[in-house]
Amino acid sequence: MSVFAAILIGLAMGAIFGMALEKGRVCEGGVIVCQMQMSRHTMLKMFLSAVATGLIVLSIMVGFGIAKLSPKATLFAADIVGGAVLGVGIVIAGACPGTVLAQIGTGYKDAIFTFIGGLFGALAFTYMEPNILKPVLTTGSYGKLTLDQVMGVPFPAVALTFAAIIIGFLVWLEKVSPWQAEIGPNADGVPADAPVEAIAATKV
Amino acid sequence: MFSLSSRAWSPYTAGIVIGLLQIPAFYFIGTALGTSSSYVTISANLAAFVDPSITQIKYAANHMSGAKNWWQVALIAGIVLGAFISSRLSGTPRWGASPFWAKAMGAHTPARRYMMAFLGGFIMVLGARIADGCTSGHGVSGIAQLAIGSFIAVTAMFGAGIITANLIYKRV
Repeated sequence: MSVFAAILIGLAMGAIFGMALEKGRVCEGGVIVCQMQMSRHTMLKMFLSAVATGLIVLSIMVGFGIAKLSPKATLFAADIVGGAVLGVGIVIAGACPGTVLAQIGTGYKDAIFTFIGGLFGALAFTYMEPNILKPVLTTGSYGKLTLDQVMGVPFPAVALTFAAIIIGFLVWLEKVSPWQAEIGPNADGVPADAPVEAIAATKV
Repeated sequence: MFSLSSRAWSPYTAGIVIGLLQIPAFYFIGTALGTSSSYVTISANLAAFVDPSITQIKYAANHMSGAKNWWQVALIAGIVLGAFISSRLSGTPRWGASPFWAKAMGAHTPARRYMMAFLGGFIMVLGARIADGCTSGHGVSGIAQLAIGSFIAVTAMFGAGIITANLIYKRV
């Protein structure tokens, strides 16, 4: 595919992606941090819905031979260390590498700093990768290991079972904690009882 | 349910839309949704103006050109556009920093929040690059492909995130 065609497809897909992130309210730092405090679960609901949909869609595509999966390699040390560092960064920033762009789109000014910080983070990794980070990145490397391979069962069987479990969990979670109540009156994850002066003070 | 002028969709609707984006990703591009490697594509291309020798680093060179890399850069540009349109159609544009931060951090100035945002962004993408994926690449896409590495990375991400969020912020 030409770079130009890839860019057009990327822009169109990104616009839908950004709209879903904004409508789903994970463009709010408050929604992301409250998820990590485990007090409200909007992000988890959206995340698991996307995973379950992906499992079903990929089962069909793999089943009919339309798509070939491209799972990432299992790198124990890198997955644990990198995942943990990512988690700490997400909480400090109040954003993920994808949702920060939705924050920029909605108008949050702090998200621009998050994005620029992210570019420097990527650059720091690029310069450290060949020498400093190599030992971490190559420890416990197991190649492209997937659950269905380990279990010796076809992908769609495991994927559809897992999707059913996720959907069951989401039905329960929604019953325990309805989503409308979780996003708050201003749809920013701040509950109704937030003091008004605190809100006025941050209009910068 | 799908109204573009509504302020919020249920997280389930939004999640399903994102999950469906795997179809064009696999069909047209032959890869899964992801966002964090585009930070390498952008920053390495910008850094090449100052330090042309960055192209000697294999990791940088692998990310600087090609349809897959520029597809992901376009994807994140599209996210900005989509969120902009969506927030304007619903009349929910934002400015400055979210009022959430004043509640979670107590004493709060814009400068302090911007510094935290920069620091958080740096740590976040550094971690995503070490793990070779972020909430989309490892989370949404990796788990949907049943990749063991993604289960490990996402567990570590939520584990460290839960501890950090309860340590550094007040409950809102």
